[in-house]
Amino acid sequence: MRPLISVEEVSYSVGSARLLHDIQLSLFPGDVVGLIGPNGAGKSTLLRTMIGFSAPAAGAILLKGRPLAAYSARERARLMSYLSRQGPDQFSFRALDVVEMGAYPRMRWGRFPGSRERFAARAALRQVGLDELAEREFPTLSEGERQLVLFARVLVQDAPVMLLDEPTANLDIGHEQTLLRTVRARCEQGDAAVVALHNLNSAAEYCKRLVLLEHGRISAAGTPDEVLTRANLERAYETDVRIGQNETTGSITVNPIPGPGARRNMRVHVIGGAGSAVSITRYLHRKGCHITGGVSHELDSDAKFWSALGIEFLQVPAFSEIGTEELTRAVELARAADLTILCAFPFGHGNAANLDVAEQAHELLILDESTALCRRAFFGDATDLERRFRHLEKTWGTVSYDDACDYIASSMSRR
Amino acid sequence: MNDGKSRLVAPIFLVTALTVAFAAAVSLGSVTVPVATILQVIRLLLEPGDSLSGELSRELRSAYAILYHIRFPRAVAALFAGGALALSGAVVQGLFRNPMAGPDILGISAGSSLGAVLAIVSGLAALHPLAVPGSAFVGALCAALFVYTIAAGRGGTQLLFVILAGLAVSSLLSGLVSAVLIFAEEHAVNQFIFWTMGGLEGRSWQTVLPPLPFIAVLSLLLMGVASPLNLLTLGDEQAHSLGVRVEALKVGILVGAAMLTAMAIALAGPIAFVGLMVPHLVRLLTGPDHRTLLPYSLAAGGIFLLLSDLVGRMAFRPFEIRTGIITAVIGGPYFIFLILRYQRRGSV
Repeated sequence: MRPLISVEEVSYSVGSARLLHDIQLSLFPGDVVGLIGPNGAGKSTLLRTMIGFSAPAAGAILLKGRPLAAYSARERARLMSYLSRQGPDQFSFRALDVVEMGAYPRMRWGRFPGSRERFAARAALRQVGLDELAEREFPTLSEGERQLVLFARVLVQDAPVMLLDEPTANLDIGHEQTLLRTVRARCEQGDAAVVALHNLNSAAEYCKRLVLLEHGRISAAGTPDEVLTRANLERAYETDVRIGQNETTGSITVNPIPGPGARRNMRVHVIGGAGSAVSITRYLHRKGCHITGGVSHELDSDAKFWSALGIEFLQVPAFSEIGTEELTRAVELARAADLTILCAFPFGHGNAANLDVAEQAHELLILDESTALCRRAFFGDATDLERRFRHLEKTWGTVSYDDACDYIASSMSRR
Repeated sequence: MNDGKSRLVAPIFLVTALTVAFAAAVSLGSVTVPVATILQVIRLLLEPGDSLSGELSRELRSAYAILYHIRFPRAVAALFAGGALALSGAVVQGLFRNPMAGPDILGISAGSSLGAVLAIVSGLAALHPLAVPGSAFVGALCAALFVYTIAAGRGGTQLLFVILAGLAVSSLLSGLVSAVLIFAEEHAVNQFIFWTMGGLEGRSWQTVLPPLPFIAVLSLLLMGVASPLNLLTLGDEQAHSLGVRVEALKVGILVGAAMLTAMAIALAGPIAFVGLMVPHLVRLLTGPDHRTLLPYSLAAGGIFLLLSDLVGRMAFRPFEIRTGIITAVIGGPYFIFLILRYQRRGSV
């Protein structure tokens, strides 16, 4: 299959500053390519070069196999559309007039838009959910509404290649989904789109392929799973992230870690079960700690939560006992942590080994039952388990959730 | 992009207003010529052959002389100069995406002033009636060319640089004008100051006719870029993506507007505010679509200058106030009104 558009080894410079280096990118029918990267990485520059607005210093852009320069301006506009955030802010065009501007490449010279263009414009406005704003003057619309109007203009242009520069930057989550769904639906019918996005979760959800730009170079490209790795993102965005999974859709989620950054921060191992670890994990995550978890059971709500946050943790199949391999790994994690936290949950055959993990910790915090979801009961070899737990309790004492938080905060500030 | 009904109302209104204003401008004056006589004279003018044969009444003969030699050229000059100024104002405002811009940004006024003052001081003005307007025209175009050469960089025309270069060139040329005036004789200084007020008195076909075909052709060309000019409000990149050849459009509009303004100055001297005020007023009435804005501005500019000239002639008879003074007196307060209005809205 021939690509709709391909960017061949394109470089671009302004003065002595090289903004794009050897960019290689091909779009086939059906492709939705997410262009991600930090501010100033060259996303907008790449899109402006692809549309032919800025001429590349080296390399070529081929539209349907022919160099861009071989097309007349109108021919090109019928094949490729582009969306930025600039609208007629100074002139009171109605929203409908702005949308109709998309019909220009298909209209003969000097013709006024007729009923066909008007109809297409109204349909596009309806598609983005703004039909009731058709008569409103563009400058009186909110930022998000303006952006949707401009996007409707792209829909009217109806070109098989869409280049969208941060189309969702000012949109609420509902409108963001509408817009990206519309883009994906059009691409499923054989169009292709490059979408510059800052919201990595949307990028993972809607884009088949992602291209990560860093300092004008493609530093990673491929499926969301291949590109949205912790190593890639922490290098590109210079902030700490956790990669998790959206429980509903199964797509990758990226959770930036607030706080000073886990790599320089306290390492905490959390032993939980039955959802007892959720609150304290949330607190540690907010504080930017490096969290590990386990051993938990598959389908356990703690396991699900850790997985959603992208936390490293150990698990065994539901209702089975913890094997020696998991136990060894968990002990390693607990030994590597500065602090281990034992949450309040019932002990039984299945999770008895977690007491071994707790016993191996350098420093242990045992949460009391005051804010716990369930009681700390003992089943199975109850007397032995309880005896071992009481011993730990005697050594370390128990703390309330609030005291545990205070303790973590103060030991972090001491570091 | 108006609805069907208002699409007809505005042109009918403008054509009517144009006819009435023209009729009033040629009918009123120190001698009032009735409309019936005007029509008779026009019929005479349209008839082929020697129309001034003996059987005409003395009254009609004098009306013919007044209209043909004095009022018609003057009214036509007002119509074309006003239309040209308003149209070039409208396209430049569209190009700069700023309703407060005008062709003056290109240093045209200063350039035409220098041209005029050189023609007056050197004595060329006394030799031929076209010397001052011709020289003003050349000065205006040279200034615009100079500004454009400075502003156009390798990466295309950056409009901010056009504005800055325009400011720089304007102040340079104004300085030169002052320098020339210092060495000029008093009557030349007076003549120059009189010229800077802008006016239409004493226009003859000899000075009025030469620029008319150019104004007509340039106006048609500029009205032809209405659609791309609309798209340019989406920013250079998006206009480009819609198939507009942005760089060619910018250069074309700058050159066209500069030439059109220079012609208008050659016809009527530097007339203030028409290029800013008229498109702005028309935009309030018809909306921002250049496909309607441009032709309506052309018509409204002509009407406005005709009426300003009429007011100047009639207000303090027998004294005549120069047209440029009338437009400035109307335009200054209008500009203040605009500023206040924008302040209330919180944005320009």
